[in-house]
Amino acid sequence: MQITFTLNKKSHTLQLHGHETLLEVIRNIIGSTGTKEACGEGECGACTVFIDGKTILSCLTLACDCADCNITTIEGLSEGDNLHPIQEAFLEQGAVQCGFCMSGMILAAKNILDKNLSPDIDEIKKGLDGNLCRCAGYPKIFEAVKAAGINLKNKKQ
Amino acid sequence: MRIQSFDKNFVNPVGKSVPRIDGKGLVTGQTKFTQDVNLPGMLVGKMIRSPHPHARIINIDTSKAENLPGVKAVITAKDTGEIKFGSNEFFFPHLVDQMPLESQKVRYIGDEIGAIAAVDEETAEQALKLIEVQYEILPGVFDALEAMKPGAPQIHENVRNNINVILPVNIGNPERMFKEADYVRDDVFYCPSAAHTCMETHTCIGQYETFSNKITLWISHQAPFKVREAIAKCFKMDLNDIRVVKLATGGGFGGKLEMLPMDFAACVLSKKAGGLPVKIMYTREEEFTCSRRKHNMIYKLKSGVKKDGTLLCMTGEVIADGGAYCSYGPTLLASTIMRIFMTYQIKHLKITGYRVYTNTPISGAIRGFGGVQSGFAVESHMDLLAKGIGMDPVEFRLKNITTPNMVAANKMKISSNGLKECIESAALAADWKNKRGKQSHIRRGIGMGIAGDVMGSKMYKSHESSGGIVKVEEDCSIYFFTGASDTGQGSNTALSQIVAQELGVSYSRIKCIAADTAITPFDTGSFASRVTFIAGNGALRAAHDAKEQILKIVAKDTQIDINDLDIKAEEVIQLSTKKNIMSFENAIKLCYSFNYGDQIIGRGSYNPPTTPVDFRTGEGHVSASYSFEAQIAEVEVNIKSGTINILKLWDAHDVGKAINPSSVESQIEGSLAMGLGYVFNENLKFENGRCVNANFDGYRIPRSVDIPPIKTILIETIDPQGPFGAKGMGEAALLPTAAAIANAIEDAVGIRLKELPFTPDKVLKALKEKERGEANL
Repeated sequence: MQITFTLNKKSHTLQLHGHETLLEVIRNIIGSTGTKEACGEGECGACTVFIDGKTILSCLTLACDCADCNITTIEGLSEGDNLHPIQEAFLEQGAVQCGFCMSGMILAAKNILDKNLSPDIDEIKKGLDGNLCRCAGYPKIFEAVKAAGINLKNKKQ
Repeated sequence: MRIQSFDKNFVNPVGKSVPRIDGKGLVTGQTKFTQDVNLPGMLVGKMIRSPHPHARIINIDTSKAENLPGVKAVITAKDTGEIKFGSNEFFFPHLVDQMPLESQKVRYIGDEIGAIAAVDEETAEQALKLIEVQYEILPGVFDALEAMKPGAPQIHENVRNNINVILPVNIGNPERMFKEADYVRDDVFYCPSAAHTCMETHTCIGQYETFSNKITLWISHQAPFKVREAIAKCFKMDLNDIRVVKLATGGGFGGKLEMLPMDFAACVLSKKAGGLPVKIMYTREEEFTCSRRKHNMIYKLKSGVKKDGTLLCMTGEVIADGGAYCSYGPTLLASTIMRIFMTYQIKHLKITGYRVYTNTPISGAIRGFGGVQSGFAVESHMDLLAKGIGMDPVEFRLKNITTPNMVAANKMKISSNGLKECIESAALAADWKNKRGKQSHIRRGIGMGIAGDVMGSKMYKSHESSGGIVKVEEDCSIYFFTGASDTGQGSNTALSQIVAQELGVSYSRIKCIAADTAITPFDTGSFASRVTFIAGNGALRAAHDAKEQILKIVAKDTQIDINDLDIKAEEVIQLSTKKNIMSFENAIKLCYSFNYGDQIIGRGSYNPPTTPVDFRTGEGHVSASYSFEAQIAEVEVNIKSGTINILKLWDAHDVGKAINPSSVESQIEGSLAMGLGYVFNENLKFENGRCVNANFDGYRIPRSVDIPPIKTILIETIDPQGPFGAKGMGEAALLPTAAAIANAIEDAVGIRLKELPFTPDKVLKALKEKERGEANL
């Protein structure tokens, strides 16, 4: 079957069998490898992407269900050569260790901040509950989300 | 030539939380992990695994799989050969017991007997189903105590009672000292198995250029030089025939420290497929069941103390379930038992460790290297001893801990030692005096645990050196080459900070090239919290050498004595007059000028002055220096549900010198999270050798919602041998977590938990026993 979707502002028309997950299509067919596979079973959040403004797990989503959708991955977050304020905050707060969970984690953070630029610690924890990190133990990630919210708010004003 | 501009904020970078050197790539998804690499013509490789925990291989028929269109290679032991490999080979050659692909027997569910390479995932999966193996199923044994009994199924030839290793640590005369003790008690502790769960599963890509007889292996790993050595030995190749390239690696924690059959298989499959590259990527289930796991242990301890709190002696026994093969068995046993000498001045100790084969996945190195199990047992036991003589646990520890500049009874030479300061500052920060024993009416309690850790050890070679090269380019940009493997902990950043500090330049000038066996100097790997200390000293020496080369030219040109010159903060300075002589940029211009034209290539290597463990006694100065910490947990127990709420954790850590404070904190926080996981949830379970919770649903690792407030306190003792005083610190923080929490629970509700993890049912059971007066305290 043939489907068309937009990935990071670029339109893609693909010929698919139908059983391919969105993760496989993004990584292996389109070759955009920022989105990671860490479990393939929807339990770790590493493959999180945005579809039409909502976060989903691309390893559990069939690509053919994404026809005409607008998909954003980690590669679609920065504008030109400038890091997105969330990416900047993660760097500045030292929230990154191995980085394998980062693509999903940063998009989950964006999902929190899209709704509220001043989330409290419980909102942050709840918003990141589906994204596993084994290296950093989360405290610096919480700080990064908080700092990103402040930066985004300042930018808006 | 355009001269490189530099960031003034990153001058004198040691002690500053500079951003990670590879950070922008990681937050944008541009950094390539092995998983992300696709080479032209690349095939998908899969391992052929045993479905049985214990069986003899009668016949393997691969013909149907080989005839499937799209299958490019199928290999078995006929292709890899009757060779054996292992991790403790240097010290224990007779214990090398695993084959790249097994030919005679399988010893656990998942044991590798072959591998397949095909054009895509589906074809490879289909081909796996066409492999026909005839097995003679043998009775299995799945429990260490059962395996030790006479008549138990024998897993390896000529290994009596399945005892893989007996390791006695035997110092002084504890039996005599028991007679002098005022109080003696014994306890048994139970530690389950656990998994590393690196976010990136094991992945490698092998390419065998058959005509030039050259192997390249791209890999997600902690020790690429060790992989190179294993391949060279097994395939009888030269070290420079094999290039192992570590790409960005998504976590290690000890799980990516050893050669696995998949690494051999990727190379041999590629050879058989005419040189096409072969990628093998573990599924999450394989990661849980076919890599390495934590040794589940039974820890029996008996100690004697004087009324005044003096710890006199200790005896005990450790029984460790080793799974199917030896892995790091002997060194891990030594590590779990010997640790106590870092923290306590105990002169009489006899603990014997037994590592036992069972038909379960292979136990190996995992963050703490046996120290998490001993940390739980010893630090729980210490609290019970203190209680037995009516002494405050903090006072008891302060009375018995090691001090700076002492030699422990097992010959560890302790130089800098901030343990006392760690205990005191953690106790002060947590308000120990006002909380301990005073909050049980609201079912709150506070508990402490302490730990020490090594920075390196001679585990698999005669030396444990690490080399660095610092190359200063004509435009003042700098390459730093290190053999050390950054697996996410941030070593490329910390080592580059050390180079920049020593060379007197901004950190922004450095590009770090790491862990490529064809390009970078040797390093034994990222384990035993060794990298900042050992590779850091290698880096320091390389930077110093480069600086000397620059200053030699400056001295010649300015006629100033070289010993009166240094480079600090981008300026060449004269030490006697404290005057700036010229900028770093002008110094480099001079080096590459008509008159000189000398390339600046600094080199350095460091091998710590340590001795290997004497495996007959447990003696040995295994690390050039030791790091220390004290941890306090405050908990609240819900006596209805049996759940434990952690109110706060304090961790005071002697890190020598924090090269990058933010990274150091992040290591501690990550360790604590891992420690908490092991306390409350993590328990890799097996039924008849089959893992029953090999996914993140059944095996819950800490999530954001599980993390309590954490306060880290960095104690800087400036170690005389550390680079800028730094020590290793990547593992110690999870060693005492379980005991600190167990001790806090007893303070809160008067129950003593001796079996991990602390699930609500165990808490409720202990509370009931206490009510009925049956509590075994």
